[in-house]
Amino acid sequence: MTTDIETSMVDASKPAGSGPSPVARAKWTRLRFGIAVLATQVLVLAACLVLWERATPKGSPAAFMFGSPSAIAGFLMQMAQDGSLWRDAAVTGMETLLGFFMGNLVGTLLGLSLWYSRFVSRVVEPFVIALGSIPIIALAPIVIIWFGTGLVSKVAMSTLSVVIVALVTSYKGAVGVDGDQINLMKTLGASKFQIFRKLVIPASLTDIFAGLKLTVGFALIGAIVGEFMSSSEGLGHAIFKAGSLYIIPKVFAALVVTIVLALVLTWLVGKIERLLMPWRRQA
Amino acid sequence: MSAEAATYARPGEGEAVNGTALPLVVEHVAKGYDFNGKVVPVIADLSLTLRKGEIVSVVGPSGCGKTTLLNTLCGLLAPDAGRIRWHGRQVVGQPQNVGYMLQKDLLFPWRTALANTMLGLEIRGVAAAEAEDRSRAMLDQLGLHGFADHYPATLSGGMRQRVALARTLVNDPDVLLLDEPFAALDFQTKLLIENDMVSLVRKGGRSMLLITHDIEEAVSIADRVIVLTRRPTAVKAAYEIELGPDRADVISLRENPDFSRYVRRIWADLDVAIQ
Repeated sequence: MTTDIETSMVDASKPAGSGPSPVARAKWTRLRFGIAVLATQVLVLAACLVLWERATPKGSPAAFMFGSPSAIAGFLMQMAQDGSLWRDAAVTGMETLLGFFMGNLVGTLLGLSLWYSRFVSRVVEPFVIALGSIPIIALAPIVIIWFGTGLVSKVAMSTLSVVIVALVTSYKGAVGVDGDQINLMKTLGASKFQIFRKLVIPASLTDIFAGLKLTVGFALIGAIVGEFMSSSEGLGHAIFKAGSLYIIPKVFAALVVTIVLALVLTWLVGKIERLLMPWRRQA
Repeated sequence: MSAEAATYARPGEGEAVNGTALPLVVEHVAKGYDFNGKVVPVIADLSLTLRKGEIVSVVGPSGCGKTTLLNTLCGLLAPDAGRIRWHGRQVVGQPQNVGYMLQKDLLFPWRTALANTMLGLEIRGVAAAEAEDRSRAMLDQLGLHGFADHYPATLSGGMRQRVALARTLVNDPDVLLLDEPFAALDFQTKLLIENDMVSLVRKGGRSMLLITHDIEEAVSIADRVIVLTRRPTAVKAAYEIELGPDRADVISLRENPDFSRYVRRIWADLDVAIQ
């Protein structure tokens, strides 16, 4: 976080031999704040779990209807031991990743390339809005007829959930580029393609990554909805099956795994973002 | 108003002088904007010339269409009437070898100071090693040694504007068009950058057209100051600024008694109403 300038300026003003430097103190203050936030989050979660556990004693109707944290933990252990947790998570994770990747690739390429032509983008606009307003779940039956009941139909559902959002966010980023920066490129003699490559694409990265973070969830929803419709494995399948059999804690157990999967994927996107946009880290 | 040092821009002066065409000749340019179906004239009739190695400042009351003028000159807007000739020729689109700088530094946040400086050379296809050498040298000349690998977000406003200046000068432009490039900087920073810029421009024999609302800046930097009227804009007056042979040091120039005479006279010309 600290830059060379900052460090050197502070160092210069530091009187010799006077305890911890202001930089170290600032670091400690930030660290303490972070710890306080984390501790509070853990406390809130723990309190909720304790209340939940208290309200759902073993064998009670409440435990049947709402499950209990201990029962959920038990199912998680069992699923981890019999391997179904890892298998389902891997299947859903793969579907989500493929849909996320394809949807964002296609959506971003289309969105950015719409920058090229005002005419085409104006022609396409109402169609994009119309397509974007379709609830993806409504497409599930057709997708299964077209792509079968295997992996491909889930990836297709996931892709469809992502593609319009990716298109809109990347197009928004591309048309949001500062007109003066475009003029600067023109006065430097840049061709339209050079403006696109050296200015529009990097300038849109912030919006593109905002879209990526948003679409992690959408990709996961698409995959799970696909699994709801017809499947023999995956987290959506596990949730659907447990729900049909009224095993509520198992539904929650599969949900917990889904949440963890979403968190891991979001974290990965953030990691890649910091890797691809180093100027934001230094700032 | 006595006009001992005042000369008006002479339209039609664009023909070859001493065998070389003038870097920039503007003849009777007019430009208006379409506003709700009505054409609002911004520039009424404007003529001016820029000689080789000359620094000309253009001052005018605020909102007088200075920025429109600049955008028209560098081909980002097409004039409604009149002619703009660069080195004796009318240009379609952007003129060659013209540097352009605005109040906003327009640095790309994803590029380091060095990579920002290299932008123009990169666009023109100069080999990477040569572009880097030239850019580093230019940053060094502008006092940014050691900051080449910094991203703009970690630089101060003054340093960022120096990088923007390096990005302009590294392309070796014949003519610089500047639109209040240092208006956002504090007074001291502004003086120091101006000083460096003027000495580099004069040393390189480049021509410069500086659009500003700061009369002191205009007088201290320029060989000639052109005063514009209110909208729709035309040239109101032009002054040859004669402040001795050494014009590179714009800071000590401000102590010259003639300096404040010029400033007062141009101020009167601008006819700023005080409420």
